[in-house]
Amino acid sequence: MALNVAELIDALPEVDSDDATLSGGVVSEALATVLSNRPVPTGSMRRLSLLGGLQAKIAVAYGFHWLRGWFQDADQRERALKETHFKTALKMLDSMGYLRGAVMKVGQTLANFPDVAPDGLVQTLEKLHFQAPPMHFSLLRETVINELGDEPHNLFAEFDETAFAAASLGQVHRARLKSGQQVAVKIQYPGIARTIRTDFRNLIPLLLPSRLTGDWQNLKDQVEFARRGIEQETDYTREAETQTRVRQLFFEEDSIVVPQVYPEFSTDRIITMDYLEGDHLDAFLAKNPSQDERNDYALKLTRAGARIVYQGRLNNVDVHAGNYLFMPDGRLGLIDFGCVLRIEGDAMWELYGRLHRAMMTGEDSSIRDAMKEWQQLTDAPRDAENLRLSTEFGKLCWKPYYVPGPFNYGDREYLQRGINVMTELMKNRCTRSHPTNLMQARWHVGWWMMFYRLGAIIDPSPIVNEETSATGWESC
Amino acid sequence: MRVSAKTKEATRQKVLRVSQELFNSTGFRETTSRDLASAVGIAAGTIFNYFPSKEAIVLQLVCDALENAEATFNRRVRPESTLEEDLFLYVSTGLRQLKPMRGFVGPAFETHLGPACGGDANELGDHIRTGHVEMVSSLLSKHGQAEPPTAVHLQMYWLLYTGVLAFWAKDQSRKQEDTLALLDQSIKMFVSWYLAG
Repeated sequence: MALNVAELIDALPEVDSDDATLSGGVVSEALATVLSNRPVPTGSMRRLSLLGGLQAKIAVAYGFHWLRGWFQDADQRERALKETHFKTALKMLDSMGYLRGAVMKVGQTLANFPDVAPDGLVQTLEKLHFQAPPMHFSLLRETVINELGDEPHNLFAEFDETAFAAASLGQVHRARLKSGQQVAVKIQYPGIARTIRTDFRNLIPLLLPSRLTGDWQNLKDQVEFARRGIEQETDYTREAETQTRVRQLFFEEDSIVVPQVYPEFSTDRIITMDYLEGDHLDAFLAKNPSQDERNDYALKLTRAGARIVYQGRLNNVDVHAGNYLFMPDGRLGLIDFGCVLRIEGDAMWELYGRLHRAMMTGEDSSIRDAMKEWQQLTDAPRDAENLRLSTEFGKLCWKPYYVPGPFNYGDREYLQRGINVMTELMKNRCTRSHPTNLMQARWHVGWWMMFYRLGAIIDPSPIVNEETSATGWESC
Repeated sequence: MRVSAKTKEATRQKVLRVSQELFNSTGFRETTSRDLASAVGIAAGTIFNYFPSKEAIVLQLVCDALENAEATFNRRVRPESTLEEDLFLYVSTGLRQLKPMRGFVGPAFETHLGPACGGDANELGDHIRTGHVEMVSSLLSKHGQAEPPTAVHLQMYWLLYTGVLAFWAKDQSRKQEDTLALLDQSIKMFVSWYLAG
């Protein structure tokens, strides 16, 4: 039976009930039906009204929480907060299923916040990575003709008309080249690039209440950086170039694979690449892998992340379960390079170096100084809280590397602390930061969630040290 | 000298071909009947023996393109496809066939095919409209709709279709990809509305 979001929200337990525990099971299943097959609205006014509606729903949900807070003790407040978070996430999901585009990217990031989204909901949100409404075949073949000049069945020896994966910006089909090579063909929804541009145009007026604060310019810089980043995700030519660059960083002995791109079947809106056989994280975990297998993949993930940053001078900030494949032969497959930050310019690279070296000391004063420089903060009282929380956040991010010996990534307390610090940063309106910080935070939280779900217990520091030794930072 | 039917048809085809070239290179407004006659190699007044106006030439080009599109659609359509897919394919195949004349057909759409032209539509405009609507009706029938669509259904469809045509004629997006998105939404809207009765 298809439920609408209002019915789901009504069905949630009230905070005053005996058991306010949020069970995602049934709700999670029902939520899948919310992701209905509605088309992308591209008209500016229509989308603005939807976005505004979404903002209003969230504001009302939090306002309700704030009012109730006056009358409740701490435990009740905590329970009420969880309920409010959950209801808010549901409302956001309702709008995202329709808006897709930029708002759906927010939804994917939300999947990484267990505090906002309880366990059951996390699994549902993660479906956004794979279960966006598909293009029908008539639309798909017109898009392929526009881009590659012929029908899919003429271009390829075989072309599977049913997508095997879908995401916010496109969907992926299996095909076979006339040379016999099995490939994955990623095709972008027509008009999605304009949808994203419209989303961001609409976002600025919604942020206008912040324009009188001292951080307005900094906030605008961050939004502009995010806009450029997400808009770049619609440029598949750029993504193919990045993917090729990353592929060159890995060798057979790494057991890390990046699919080869076929430029003759790729354009701004289509990428054709090797098809990789493998499981995503959920399917891998469902097979009850041993601790050794989990650790082995965690080490490969560590190497992949460190290699891309320290040798490739790139930062693949779109870290979520949908972008990694656990291959049957034990190799790790890396896919999707649409949201990769390029670390450009010597000054930026040296700043990365200073930050990394300071973090690796694990010392408060060094980390504090590095965060001050990175976050563009001062010693003024208004920056004090931001600096304190940013320092703690930085320490938590680098903790697995500077604490000697194996680190237990499955430690819920560690994960929760990280999420709490991020939440405090947001709640305290500590908006001043490096323009790339939204992306960097997305990267760190993505890693936390991947490693937490893997339950990995590893010592990542030898790998990180090995990879950073190629940077030449020691001499800078 | 008596002109044979064969020669007359050849000249008529040449007028159409040359007009399309000149409308694209010089612009519809800027191209005069005299320019057309000169390029075809006939006397200035003779061109009116073939077409009463430049607008009539454009409408004939559209009609020919859409007839070709119908044949192409019949080759491309798949037996297992849904109603939405068939309608989308039918319209998009037509747009592909009309593409060489995208730069100058917009005004003709509005004048002769738009919903407002009503009883003032000329014979060729009626022919295009009737042919298109008959195909839509047959697709609805193919997908199990026993009752023929009512006049209201068809008027709603025609509103959406001509809206897509008008948007496409001015679509500045890369490879007119926004038109594909709009067409997809329009077809989905029509089908859901039609099936809801």
